Amino acid sequence: MKYFLYWGCSLEASGSNYLESIRPVSKILGLEFEEIDDWNCCGASISYIGANDLSIKVLNARNLALAEAQGGYDIVAPCSSCYIQMVKVNHEIQENEDLKAKINAVLKEGGLNYTGSIRVRHLLDVLYHDVGPEKIRSHVKKPLRGIKVAGYVGCQTVRPYGEYDSVERPISHDAILQALGAEAVPFPKKMRCCGSGIFLTEMGYCMNLVKDILEDALNHGAEIISTVCPMCAMNLEAYQHRINKVLGTNFDVPVVYLTQLMAVAFGLDMKVDAALDRNYIPPEVVLKKAIGH
Amino acid sequence: MADPKKKGKAEGPVSYDPSFSKEVFEKVDYGEKIKMCMQCGVCAASCPLSMVMDYSPRKIFALIRAGKRSEVLSSKAIMLCTSCYSCKVRCPRKVPVVDVMHGLANYALKQGYVPREETALFGREFWKQILRLGRIDEKDLPRRYFFSKGIIPGIKKSMELADMGIVLMLHKRMKLLPERSVKGIKELRKMLEKASAMGNGGA
Repeated sequence: MKYFLYWGCSLEASGSNYLESIRPVSKILGLEFEEIDDWNCCGASISYIGANDLSIKVLNARNLALAEAQGGYDIVAPCSSCYIQMVKVNHEIQENEDLKAKINAVLKEGGLNYTGSIRVRHLLDVLYHDVGPEKIRSHVKKPLRGIKVAGYVGCQTVRPYGEYDSVERPISHDAILQALGAEAVPFPKKMRCCGSGIFLTEMGYCMNLVKDILEDALNHGAEIISTVCPMCAMNLEAYQHRINKVLGTNFDVPVVYLTQLMAVAFGLDMKVDAALDRNYIPPEVVLKKAIGH
Repeated sequence: MADPKKKGKAEGPVSYDPSFSKEVFEKVDYGEKIKMCMQCGVCAASCPLSMVMDYSPRKIFALIRAGKRSEVLSSKAIMLCTSCYSCKVRCPRKVPVVDVMHGLANYALKQGYVPREETALFGREFWKQILRLGRIDEKDLPRRYFFSKGIIPGIKKSMELADMGIVLMLHKRMKLLPERSVKGIKELRKMLEKASAMGNGGA
């Protein structure tokens, strides 16, 4: 199956462990990814500060137009923010002819046009629906047996459209964790927001959001947290020790990408493929049951 | 956390004044959608940060109807949206609350209000980087944001958060080379300039 992988700005930097693990895992699963040539940033969830809505729509429509001209495959976004920005614009263009005409009038300035034929999808959607837990299970060589994982879904992964999973009680993330042999612990805050793009500028408020999520996961027995979004991963992992200092907590829980866990369970290299050495809080200790040392 | 007794109290008697509503419907992105609001408060109950807002989203919509222009445009609530979409999926009247809040924040900033200074500074640098490169350089953006208020506050903020940068660098989660602009940057800028002029709020 061929797709465009729109990995976005974060996966080349703070989310590099996500991209590094997506590549070998997708190869095993037979997912063929192509890059959209000369893609631009999606604007994330903070661009409204500096730009009006039409500008943000045009920014995303450029990527959609480029993808349409380059083959028209589904666009797969591993970053929830990229996903939601693009899927939102795509829906509005597909549903509103006037808006489409307006956007195309702007795209024309750059010699582009978008008819509305592209489908935008989250990587989790493709893993769950196109590949499926059964096929994923068939590739597992080192099951994550006995490892308790909190499958943190976060916000923009399924909200607001709920195209491939429930917006209130999603199951896809946990189903894949179970296919890997792990125990997916239920925890009520799996859909609660981590602070997203305003964490850095509103740390005083957002640290409490992350504290609540981490506490909830740990109280339900989680030893490790799995995410499918670079913003969630950043906020949940990189700020833990700062939260400890400010809020007097004692967090030291590894936060990994679902694809890193898949690489481990598929028996791939811990460093080259799973990119575990790029995690700030080392996940190897928890994963030793699967790794076997 | 804010004292619940102190928040959400608008000054003076509340009566309906359509002048500000009209302004919001016409000039704010997604502004006309608030016509659908029936004041049920599901948005307020769903919001992860409503407890630290001066007015909940529901109250913001009520204040718009009451014509309380400066209260709304200076309210920190309109810039505390984390874009989690809990409100948008739950609203029984299909008000895209997140989009309205973003529209209000954008409009307020254009009108000279600065409800949350840090987010405003960061957001402006973010968009400037898109105009310059077409992409976001994760090491360059924080630096520009830290120094946006001057050298001394910049150094202070950089020192405060230096550990984060070092950790990311040591774990190969920072691109060391400067980000290059997209090939079609000139065309992209031209398109964004046009969209800025055609859309709400002007350039």
